[in-house]
Amino acid sequence: MRSLALTVAAAALLALAAVAALQLVVPRAPPSAAEQARAIAAELRCPDCQALSVAESRTAAAAAIRAEIAEQLAAGRSANEIRQHFVARYGDWILLTPTDPLAWWLPPVALFAGAALFGWWWIRGRRSSVAAPARPVSDADRRRVRDAAEALDD
Amino acid sequence: MSARGGLLRWVAVPLLVVPVTWLLFTGLGRDPRDIPSPLVGKPLPAFAATTLEGEEFSSQALAGRPALINVWASWCDPCIDEHPLLLAAARAYAGELSVIGIVHHDSADGARGFLARYGDGGWPDLLDPSDRIAIDLGVIFPPETYFVDASGIVRYRHLGPLTEEVLAQQLAALGLDR
Repeated sequence: MRSLALTVAAAALLALAAVAALQLVVPRAPPSAAEQARAIAAELRCPDCQALSVAESRTAAAAAIRAEIAEQLAAGRSANEIRQHFVARYGDWILLTPTDPLAWWLPPVALFAGAALFGWWWIRGRRSSVAAPARPVSDADRRRVRDAAEALDD
Repeated sequence: MSARGGLLRWVAVPLLVVPVTWLLFTGLGRDPRDIPSPLVGKPLPAFAATTLEGEEFSSQALAGRPALINVWASWCDPCIDEHPLLLAAARAYAGELSVIGIVHHDSADGARGFLARYGDGGWPDLLDPSDRIAIDLGVIFPPETYFVDASGIVRYRHLGPLTEEVLAQQLAALGLDR
């Protein structure tokens, strides 16, 4: 029963690995201009709304920026050039993804530090509980318990 | 308490608590309206558009004297509040300061109605139906005012309605401080 479960699990893992490898090997169709425009618009903040990208917003400003993205793509500019075109006018504020590298590496570093701290604390706790075995019960202890029990009976 | 427990308490805990507290305080202390414009210190982008009177206007006409470019709309309430300040500045510095309005997301009729009601300073108000000028200036939300020096360099961008202090200070920075 157990070996069957292991075989099924191994086969499932192999199949998953094969699908992942296929994704990497098989060339994907290049994105269309509309898909490219949408991808760029999704990275830009809509100027006159809150917490929406240019791709999602229905405001006039977002529509104008979408039109400008399409125009620039048609003129042969790359996605990066188009992003820079807007950054030069609105500043980094227009980008929805942070440009400060601190924002990218701080969370994993904090997570790793937290995990390391927790691991250290856990191992230390286990070690101290193993290092301090219970003291064997002595005759004096037995006597104290008996005396206490007798005192309760009185 | 063991030496290791002391290390945990006095080193590890502050190491976690201090940066988080610092991040919270600096983040909360920041004004979300204080968005720096990358245009400051750079030449004003060139633009050409039609005025409310139907005349063609080019930003080349601004060369040689300081300019104040105000982005506004008739649906924008704070624009009503700052309008008297613009009228006063245009009057006080007539011949020394160019004032230009950019009509933002508004119809020509809407803009004309606003001027008829709150006062027309007589400066060119440009229509920007496809947001060409707004995108080149990096306009976020009206009212916004750009202060440009005589050599055509943007010196300051003010978000929100102008105040007397900001206007006086920025005009003085352009050499207008009577």
